[in-house]
Amino acid sequence: MTSFGFNRAIRRGVSTAAAAAMLMSSTAFAAPPVDLSKWSPEYVRSIAGTKDFDTAADCGKVTPLDYKGRLTFWYQGVFEGDPDLLRQYYKDFFAAFRKTYPNIDLQEQALTYNDLLDKFRTALLGNAGPMVVRLQILGGVEFAAKGYLQELKPEDVGYSTEDFWPGAMKSNMWKGKTYGVPTNNETMALIWNADVFKRAGLDPDKAPATWDDVVKYSKQIHDKLGIAGYGLVARKNAGNTPYRFLPQLWAYGGGVFDEASPNPNYSKIQLNSPASKKALQASYDMYVRDKSVPVSALTNQQADNQPLFLAGQLGMMISHPSDYDVMQDLKKKATGSDLQKAETVIENMRYGLIPTGPDGKRAVVFGGSNMHILKPEYVDGGKVDQAAAKALICFWTSPEWSLKMAYAGSNPGNLNGFKTKWMKERLDKIKFLDVTTSMLPYGIPFPTIPETPEIMNIVVPDMLQNALTGSMTVDQAAEDATKKIQNIMSGGKL
Amino acid sequence: MTLATRLADAPLRENSKEPGVLQRAWINRADYLYVLPSIVVMLIVIAYPIYYTIELSFFTTPPSLQLRDKIFVGLDNYSLILTSDVFWRVTANTFIWTIVSTFAAFVLGLGTALALNHEFVGRGVLRAILIIPWVISAVAASYIWKWIYHSNFGVIGAVLVSLGITDRPPNFIDSVSTVLPSLIVVNVWREFPFAMIMLMAGLQTVPDQLLRAARVDGANAWQSFWHVTFPHLQGVSTVTILLLAVSNFNSFIIPWIMTGGGPSNASHIWITHIYELAFGRQRWGIASAYSVLLFIIMMTLGYFYVRALSGAERKDRG
Repeated sequence: MTSFGFNRAIRRGVSTAAAAAMLMSSTAFAAPPVDLSKWSPEYVRSIAGTKDFDTAADCGKVTPLDYKGRLTFWYQGVFEGDPDLLRQYYKDFFAAFRKTYPNIDLQEQALTYNDLLDKFRTALLGNAGPMVVRLQILGGVEFAAKGYLQELKPEDVGYSTEDFWPGAMKSNMWKGKTYGVPTNNETMALIWNADVFKRAGLDPDKAPATWDDVVKYSKQIHDKLGIAGYGLVARKNAGNTPYRFLPQLWAYGGGVFDEASPNPNYSKIQLNSPASKKALQASYDMYVRDKSVPVSALTNQQADNQPLFLAGQLGMMISHPSDYDVMQDLKKKATGSDLQKAETVIENMRYGLIPTGPDGKRAVVFGGSNMHILKPEYVDGGKVDQAAAKALICFWTSPEWSLKMAYAGSNPGNLNGFKTKWMKERLDKIKFLDVTTSMLPYGIPFPTIPETPEIMNIVVPDMLQNALTGSMTVDQAAEDATKKIQNIMSGGKL
Repeated sequence: MTLATRLADAPLRENSKEPGVLQRAWINRADYLYVLPSIVVMLIVIAYPIYYTIELSFFTTPPSLQLRDKIFVGLDNYSLILTSDVFWRVTANTFIWTIVSTFAAFVLGLGTALALNHEFVGRGVLRAILIIPWVISAVAASYIWKWIYHSNFGVIGAVLVSLGITDRPPNFIDSVSTVLPSLIVVNVWREFPFAMIMLMAGLQTVPDQLLRAARVDGANAWQSFWHVTFPHLQGVSTVTILLLAVSNFNSFIIPWIMTGGGPSNASHIWITHIYELAFGRQRWGIASAYSVLLFIIMMTLGYFYVRALSGAERKDRG
């Protein structure tokens, strides 16, 4: 396994934030248009509410507001793990779009994160796709590589490439061409229950600093209180699994390929490196050795962790700021003593940075979604209404709506969203937003190759399950996953 | 065949000793016309997909290519499947799933049908209640059972812990050793009412006088069942078992929703594995090769089903 310059730099004492910022900037473009090192909570507060935007006027320049057309649109919408607040914003968005473009007949269809890729792929096989699709960040390259998507860059819908995160733009690029516009970008944080920490004899106001600490804390919580310490998620075919395991993998210095390096080329598989195996061993220790995580981790999604956390049955988990709102929503359904318990948990909810690895490396998945326009031959009816498509994409990726649609959970894809008055309002309303903003410089995008969805949704969870169920040893599971990825990369064998 | 045609053809049939195939086809031409629309529809919706699946099974489709850019690999997909560990594991799971589910659903259905064949107060209500698992949506049932089994906040676990029977909730679907039996229990729960209904219908054909005669001859309950009732149920039992076996071989909803084939492929059966290969991993060629193999097995089962059905009909007539 190659020893990266990046890791050496950390060892030499360069601040993690600055290094990770450099990493994210340089992974996307030679000359970084966005200086990520300045995206601290203070900076975000300083720019919030400093600029006004008129979405209708801006999008009217792309597609006239009286344009008459028809548009089919599939998108990854809200699901059971999202807060009600977000549901309302989705409703508001479509109402606002219809009001702004009353003559565009928009036929939208919401799909959950885990269903969207399967359904979209199937539709494309029958040339029955929608005109526009909003896909999760790891999906775009697969469809661009297969030739399903039209070239599309922010300039086509009235914005500038520099208005978007470099990592997000990279997830839309294939062979030097751009195929989409980012809607939102997210980095998660570690959430813990201070009351549980206190009762377990841990410092209630201090998050575990390293992943080794997570393992220790989880065991201590389980041994002292008999509840699950850390909300491990290892379900297959669920986005939640790679989003939670990859930060751990990267922190230990591992990776699927070299995606955590400054200039990844994805040519060498590193899932079987000693560092990657250490990360897998940490999960094994928590699930098998210490039995300190939910037994249901193998079938759980994050949405299953949320009620456990609210019931005071889980000490720590990785998630978005929106989980605070989700807890508030869930609390509304509780009664009697359950309500009291839920109130205690919410009062004791704390957010912190995702722990580092043994070398001080901190990492988080740079997630989000992108909008794409399909080529007419793959669309139901064989036509794409370009003007209507651009109107919708302009509207969603506008500073106003890219902020509102990410209100509770993530960050606007359009950086100008941070300058809006709604961002200012959001900073006051959404608790713990600062923590996830602080994680932005540590964000690492998934490998931008067509094989990524299969690797992340199938191979990585399989590796975890093989190790955690005892079907294979940690070494065997890592080697098996490496072999599977080799097969995938060498032409699609099993 | 219309009555007029039959009458018109009657002298022809009487005169010729043994009409040839073409002659018989001509005689029955009206019958062919009647079934022609169905045959055309079948050719479109069944024959073409079968042909296309067989064709696809000789191609590979790397993740970066569209299906139309598929690459011919001959029999590679078949050899890849037959030499893969997962194939044998999934095949073993499929046979365990099918055989145990079919047998258990049949035995439970038979027992319930026999119990409900006697008059007692509340029989109608009980019969209606027992049919519920079969009539509710499999998707809803799968989600409910997933919650019942949940390893952390499942109903069964909570009851067992509160009664002091176990210290911690049992692990039903997050363990490679218990997941398949746990799913089979759900499947049997859902299917046994079907066997019950079929066998209850079969029990109506058992002549009452024979049962009375057996009792007069001193036969006990078991002897009456084994020597009188069961022989009359053979036809319907064969059909029920075959229908259950075909349905179980093709099961998808329960294992997919409850576990997605996991953990660690321990609950993958053929259909869920084919689905994952095709739609999760886009291995259309390999998934098609799996489907062809499954098709051969299903056709074999289908052959026995038709034979059993014909045998049952002959028995009924004879």
